[in-house]
Amino acid sequence: MDERRGIQQPSACELSRRDFLKASAIVGGGIAFLGALPGFSALQAARAQAEEGALAYPLADPANQIYTVCLQCNTGCGIKVKLLDGVATKIEGSPFHPMTMYPHVDYNTPIASAGTMEGAICPKGQAGLQSVYDPYRLVSVLKRKPGTPRGGGQWETISFEQAIEEIVEGGDLFGEGVVPGLRESYALTDAAVAKEMAAAVKAIHNAKDADSKRALIAEFQTKFADYLDLMIDPEHPDLGPRNNQFVFAWGRLKDARKDFIARFLNAYGTTNAHGHTTVCQGSLYFTGKAMSEQYVDGAWTGGQKFYWQGDIGNSEFVIFVGASPFEGNYGPPLRSPRLTTSLVEKNLKYVVVDPRFSKTASKAWRWLPAKPGTEGALALALIRWVIDNQRYNAPYLSAANRAAADQLGQTTWTEATWLVKLDENGVPGKFLRASEIGLREKETRPLSTDPDKTYEFDYFVALVNGEPVPVDPYARDPESAVRGDLLVDNVKLGDFTVKSSLQIIADSAREHTLEEWAEICGVEARALEEIAFEFTNHGRQAVADIHRGVSQHTNGFYNVLAWYTLNALIGNFDHAGGLIKGSTYSATGSKPGQPFKISQSSGTMVPFGTSIIRHNEKYEKHTLFLRDGYPARRNWYPLSSDIYQEIVPSIGDAYPYPVKALMFYMGSPVYSLPAGHTNIPILADPKKLPLFIAIDPFIGETSMFADYIFPDTMYLERWEFHGSHPSVAFKIQPVRNPAIAPLVPDVTVFGQQMPMSLEAVLMAIAERLGLPGFGEGGYKDYGDFTHPDDLYIRMVANLAFGEKEDGSDAVPDADDEELRIFLEARRHLPPSVFDAARWERLAGDYWRKVVYVLNRGGRFQAFEKGYKEGVIPEPSANYFGLDLTVTANPFATMVNIYQEKTYDVKNAMTGEHLVGYARYFPGPYAVTGEVLNDEADGFDLRLITHREIMQTKSRTSSNYWLLALLPENAVLMNAVDAEQRGLKDGDLVRIVSPTNPSGEWDLMNGKKVPMIGKIKTTQGIRPGVISFALGFGHFAYGGVDVTINGTTIPGDARRIRGFHANAAMRVDPYLGNTTLVDPVGGSAVFYDTFVRVEKV
Amino acid sequence: MTEPQGTSSIDAGLNRRSFLRKLAGAGGAAVALQALDQLAADPAQALASYEAQIQELSSTSGGDLSKLDVLERMRRELVRALEKPPEERRWVMVIDLRKCVGCHACTIACVAENRLPPGVVYRPVLEEEWGVYPNVGRRFVPRPCMQCDKPPCTPVCPVNATYKNVDGVVVVDYDQCIGCRACLTACPYGARTSDFGLTYNEPNPVADGLIAGRTVAEGYERAPSFEYGEARPRQERTSPIGNARKCHFCLHRIAVGELPACVTTCIGRATLFGDANDPASLVAEMIAQPNVIRLKEELGTEPRVYYLL
Repeated sequence: MDERRGIQQPSACELSRRDFLKASAIVGGGIAFLGALPGFSALQAARAQAEEGALAYPLADPANQIYTVCLQCNTGCGIKVKLLDGVATKIEGSPFHPMTMYPHVDYNTPIASAGTMEGAICPKGQAGLQSVYDPYRLVSVLKRKPGTPRGGGQWETISFEQAIEEIVEGGDLFGEGVVPGLRESYALTDAAVAKEMAAAVKAIHNAKDADSKRALIAEFQTKFADYLDLMIDPEHPDLGPRNNQFVFAWGRLKDARKDFIARFLNAYGTTNAHGHTTVCQGSLYFTGKAMSEQYVDGAWTGGQKFYWQGDIGNSEFVIFVGASPFEGNYGPPLRSPRLTTSLVEKNLKYVVVDPRFSKTASKAWRWLPAKPGTEGALALALIRWVIDNQRYNAPYLSAANRAAADQLGQTTWTEATWLVKLDENGVPGKFLRASEIGLREKETRPLSTDPDKTYEFDYFVALVNGEPVPVDPYARDPESAVRGDLLVDNVKLGDFTVKSSLQIIADSAREHTLEEWAEICGVEARALEEIAFEFTNHGRQAVADIHRGVSQHTNGFYNVLAWYTLNALIGNFDHAGGLIKGSTYSATGSKPGQPFKISQSSGTMVPFGTSIIRHNEKYEKHTLFLRDGYPARRNWYPLSSDIYQEIVPSIGDAYPYPVKALMFYMGSPVYSLPAGHTNIPILADPKKLPLFIAIDPFIGETSMFADYIFPDTMYLERWEFHGSHPSVAFKIQPVRNPAIAPLVPDVTVFGQQMPMSLEAVLMAIAERLGLPGFGEGGYKDYGDFTHPDDLYIRMVANLAFGEKEDGSDAVPDADDEELRIFLEARRHLPPSVFDAARWERLAGDYWRKVVYVLNRGGRFQAFEKGYKEGVIPEPSANYFGLDLTVTANPFATMVNIYQEKTYDVKNAMTGEHLVGYARYFPGPYAVTGEVLNDEADGFDLRLITHREIMQTKSRTSSNYWLLALLPENAVLMNAVDAEQRGLKDGDLVRIVSPTNPSGEWDLMNGKKVPMIGKIKTTQGIRPGVISFALGFGHFAYGGVDVTINGTTIPGDARRIRGFHANAAMRVDPYLGNTTLVDPVGGSAVFYDTFVRVEKV
Repeated sequence: MTEPQGTSSIDAGLNRRSFLRKLAGAGGAAVALQALDQLAADPAQALASYEAQIQELSSTSGGDLSKLDVLERMRRELVRALEKPPEERRWVMVIDLRKCVGCHACTIACVAENRLPPGVVYRPVLEEEWGVYPNVGRRFVPRPCMQCDKPPCTPVCPVNATYKNVDGVVVVDYDQCIGCRACLTACPYGARTSDFGLTYNEPNPVADGLIAGRTVAEGYERAPSFEYGEARPRQERTSPIGNARKCHFCLHRIAVGELPACVTTCIGRATLFGDANDPASLVAEMIAQPNVIRLKEELGTEPRVYYLL
């Protein structure tokens, strides 16, 4: 041991010895505390300290606290950062945020009295200092050393200005030949032409047949002859302009920064702006989208990318499926107190469906370790029991439209009673329309978007006491209310055979008996009956709450649909204790009366064309379909977006077109994606990807392959509007705002000082390219757009104003004391970040309100406003009306349990219609539909992942406090499996799979990282399944040596302990360079790989 | 702003010491400030207003307690307890194991609050699993210092550096402790550890500006902790380096009306804290529950930490 760390008491203490009695007097509440009193100015504190010789606890002083938002995971809890001489030294939960206090305190609590009020945050939140003050953070732009390969770990620092010039202008940057810069892809700059082209492309897509499409392509080429060199491929104008060859992708991104990026990309004119949704819980979002599409102006549209979660604080019974709210699940500080309080003080019981005995399972009434991939089967088993035993909420389901729902006091309704046409094989297709059976003629109605134009509305049909009745989904007048027959089976109406939607679902659930379903799921039928009974025995205060474990399978979309359908059977949407949705305050200026329309701009482009991930488009309408037919070279995703696992592999295949530059922000697909190793050969190859730019505070597992890395500000240094999560009943908008001086240096863009960051990079590119909407006059009526504050402060002003046109829900003005604390708390921030005069000028009349909002880290609806009394419902065969409380921020429209729009999409591989209702598709399967059976090839263990609460998925391995709790992960294996394989705790095993037989990551730089982990035996996992915790086994991120300017920076091995088995995850056999996917919902598949473990 | 000396006028009708003790009450912060501002103008009125506001801040009666997070209820109870002389209050901690979700936030909050170096942990959370698949159980047991009323650790100290203070909390006088570790051995709960002077970021490079480097981490890692109400930056050869260290219920936070760091960050609301001598307090209610236990009761250490099973 180093002598200076010896344990002996230093003999000559440099500090003056203090009288311990004095200290204990302080503790007892003596006079010396004056200096520490919250609310006292630094001057007073200093005076008191001089007087008494002691400084007690300055961190409780509100003037040493800034309220902002955590980002140690995506839950985004409200936090207060306690500052000492400008250094963040402690982070606490915010008392104002409903995620960290339950109930949260009154929003109007004076900030001066909140100095000692604290909410609860998780260990990651507590350790946030170690993310921000991480020694391995980058502080200058790094450029791959010319002459060295990507991923080679050889870097040079270059100036920000030089780096911007190089990425914009291109040239022979690495001695490998000419690299195209961003200027080259900034091809089409005439928005009017782009708009015309986009319309022409739409016409091509809507053309009925191949010949007319070809004619329209020729017409396009003639009409836009002068611009054809600006197109990616004039033969396929629907690919769009060359601008699309610049791809911007991100991992974690929230509003404000999202708005900033959108402004930039719209100005640049690329359609390629892609997030990471599918690596998280994609099919949860996109099933939610499909379930929320509404029939507007004769078409299904407006589906929201969202999902529901349980309002579990008010539930009596919860089924958690593939979700562990004590460890993840958006998120432990929000959900844990609701569960523990109800468990101990109320009458909650819950079930956990999870192959692993999670911490959540430890307090469950039942743990149901069903086989992974059978989640949909489990839901259908429960659906079958509920329907067979008529335990469903019959009144709720009978409501066919809004008028009927209104009569029942319900905010939502479903298509349970609507009639669906069957084809000659009995396969359900589209809804029957009233005009098709001569029940009622179509009506001419004005378009909702343009009342001067009209469309033909055709009524839907339900049976009422056996007689067909026309249904208008959104009719409000009581005469239009339709309460339909629930189960309508094979009825002939005119030329059609029809079933009700509920009948179709019942038939799907009756594909197997309860015993057969139980066998499929690997559980006891009796357990299913008991769970189904409980689920239907608590009115609407029961809920099935689902997350990644349901969605991240090849059958994810249908698993999710099945569980939400089960919820629909008891009609718990919008009910306290049932399914609710998140709500956020708008800050974009889109609400009437809000002071600043943030999208206002001196000009923008009109991005159009097919995205590199082929989302939001139907393959069979595209000109590539004319070329390739079925199967498509890669899948298309008309129902989903942000298909993370498709970004880099599509670039690798140059499908649908080659990409010239990729800019990645706060994302690491290599590390995060299942089979993320498939991205490495593409990112490492300049021929496949000529220019790769990362915006990353670290050299991470993906940015290590970049040509340039721009450092970024981290979460305590920057702005974002973090939004909410589905299980928060209250309308909120937490605001992440700078709490400490950035560790990155300032740069000058548009003549303004700002921290080197995402914003600075985009502004500097905009400045160099002269993009509209930036610089002098860029904000049109509001003036210049030359500093990020020009956007962010205005967004806070909108938030402070509220959503009522008359301003009646604006927050109060900060009083002098609030303003004093606000200013004093920010005394350490540099003017590039905080300049009171600049902020006040931008906020204008709303300045004091802006202060009020920022003093609380955002805006939060009062606890008592989150719910309201509902209407007494109609009694049913079962009791579904005990609790009348409903959410005050409801979904309040139709819930699609049968989806005509989904049916109307054709699989891009086979050309077959998709199924539009809850159904079990045994997996895993390839994107082509081919069922995989790797078990037969001796891969005898199913690999799944889990989260330990002390690590997030990819960005907390720098937190040494957390690593002290759990330095590495393990291969979690049932003791029976271990014994069979002769394995014991601590044995090292290599994980191999059909698509990674060597069980390693090949970094393409001469280094290979084996997937070798320590066995940890447990009784708490289903035999045949092994699991590992995400967040470990890094191979960059400060854990390995890198060379900068010829100096080797040694890595810290603590940061890369454990293993990361994502590279073992199954590669899709057809795609070849991508993980297995859910072809409908787009999920990247985490839980459908079979592996073998080999003792090493 | 009135200077503290200006408060002499209150000597007329008030005991200055009790006034200041009230000031130390947390929520009283802004209140105190206002009161001080007003003192010169009308001391009596200022004090009346101050008393009223303190009353309101520390009030947990009259309202619906279910409308308060227990964290806020306990904070108000703490303010109320601070009104009393130290010897009349009895700090206890109650840990409801039914609510502990095993998140370890308390462990890390404590590390951050008290700047604990590698090897020093005041509040570990022990985990255990039992049973045979599929009948499995898991339990999480936080284990702070028990603040025993009959502590085995204090008599063994050769220099009387550790003792129960006036609040009944077992404290360590860092300036007296010689680091002999006798107390570590004596504690039957393993609640004491030695500070060997390590830092978490010590192994990392400075790197001369090529990366942010170790120095950026030293800002928080060497910042003063405020244990026992004293600002002690973490400096080599300086206490508490070399000392025995242990949980002290965050006395420095309590003194300003702030709950211990492990309590406020408890996401399961399993950890409760307060004055057991206040019959209306949450902890007083909880330690009377039939499912309450203390660890190693048989040793006769009389812990002030209670567990609910």
